[in-house]
Amino acid sequence: MSDPNERPPGNRPKIGHIDGDPVTSHPKLDTLSENQRALRLAVIKEFKAKKVKKFVEKQVQHINTNQRIAEGIKFLFDEEGRPPPNMPMEDIIAERRHIEYEIRWFEAILEELHNRLVRVKEIEDHALDMLADRFTEE
Amino acid sequence: MAAPLFLLAPPRSYTSLMNAMIGQHPQTFGLPELCLFNVETLIQLWTRTSDEIENFSKTRQGLLRAVAEIYGGEQTTATIKMANHWCFARQHRSTAEVYQELVRDIDPLIAVEKSPSYTISLKRMQAIYRAFPDARFLHLVRHPVATCKSIMALNDGAFAMYVNSIDFLEDRAIVDPQFAWHDLNTNIFNFLQMVPPEQQIRVRGEDIMHDPTHFLGEVCRWLGIRDDAEAIDAMMHPERSPFACFGPITALFGNDPNFLRGPAFRAHKVKVPPLDKPLAWRPDGKGLDPRVIELAHEFGYR
Repeated sequence: MSDPNERPPGNRPKIGHIDGDPVTSHPKLDTLSENQRALRLAVIKEFKAKKVKKFVEKQVQHINTNQRIAEGIKFLFDEEGRPPPNMPMEDIIAERRHIEYEIRWFEAILEELHNRLVRVKEIEDHALDMLADRFTEE
Repeated sequence: MAAPLFLLAPPRSYTSLMNAMIGQHPQTFGLPELCLFNVETLIQLWTRTSDEIENFSKTRQGLLRAVAEIYGGEQTTATIKMANHWCFARQHRSTAEVYQELVRDIDPLIAVEKSPSYTISLKRMQAIYRAFPDARFLHLVRHPVATCKSIMALNDGAFAMYVNSIDFLEDRAIVDPQFAWHDLNTNIFNFLQMVPPEQQIRVRGEDIMHDPTHFLGEVCRWLGIRDDAEAIDAMMHPERSPFACFGPITALFGNDPNFLRGPAFRAHKVKVPPLDKPLAWRPDGKGLDPRVIELAHEFGYR
């Protein structure tokens, strides 16, 4: 069995700024100048903006064409419209129902929190009115 | 315990296909992309650490599918749920320990894995070697222009941006994956300097595409496993891998989606583009950097 500590790694030079932190995945930016960092941010912003634009276009297309399945989901199905063998229709339906159930559960919690907020706000307003009246009397 | 085999290559270098083909040999077990050595402890695969570009939820799907298949015998929503519990029980363990457990449980089959993201950092590959000092490493190379075209075609070159493969000119920045191609291969070279020669081999993807019987036979002999016709024939059917398809709805991926959609292999001669022409993804019409061309020559591309 070889010893990982026996030989040092090679030192061929790199030409870019590729090697990043292995845990956070952030690329090393300390080798870039201020101008380069700004240019890099601009490229990333442009990329993200393009991604958002494409997503919105897809959504608009989806809404406009009603029943047509978005290309990204259609990709999973074969030419006959059958889902992959590991993904039977029963599982897709069960997952969809599970997510809808969780959404309804969160909506119920949200409504409960709204109701509580309304009551607490009324109590807060009433308390502030009473304080204001007492302050005026004094 | 059979020493695992790791395929080291930048992304879009035939890694999915090669991994599945070698993984179909009767004496091996091809795994999906586990990405385990991208982090130090298992829980970090569930902790979002980079806001820049990457989609982290897909990163752990290969591991979930592998655990489901190895311990549940199949990949369903139920076994993926089991896999999540399996990972939860090991969340604070090092990824090296988790990987060693998987390799022990696959033994005597040789675990075969590739995660192109390992090549982003020398430290990730060193972590593999520390976990498995007798591991074998196959350096898989592909023509730089073909690799870069493929990177740019996937999600508008997101990978190139993710690893900072950007050409900084005076007034603009151009996303150019050739720097990633050069530096990731350099990372592999620098890492393999630590590994004894008998534990490494370099293969060109185009050669395997053209003459799989010959080159896969060489890989088998290097690994010390069967190289008879039946074994080689098994390797010609990557589509038979349990991971060569989309997974259940709760863990769909774990590999290149294009491969998952069409994993079958047909031998063919790959058309190799010239090294001295303008690059299609560069708006300024420039060609390959001379240092990239030099490395391509070292790999035997002309």
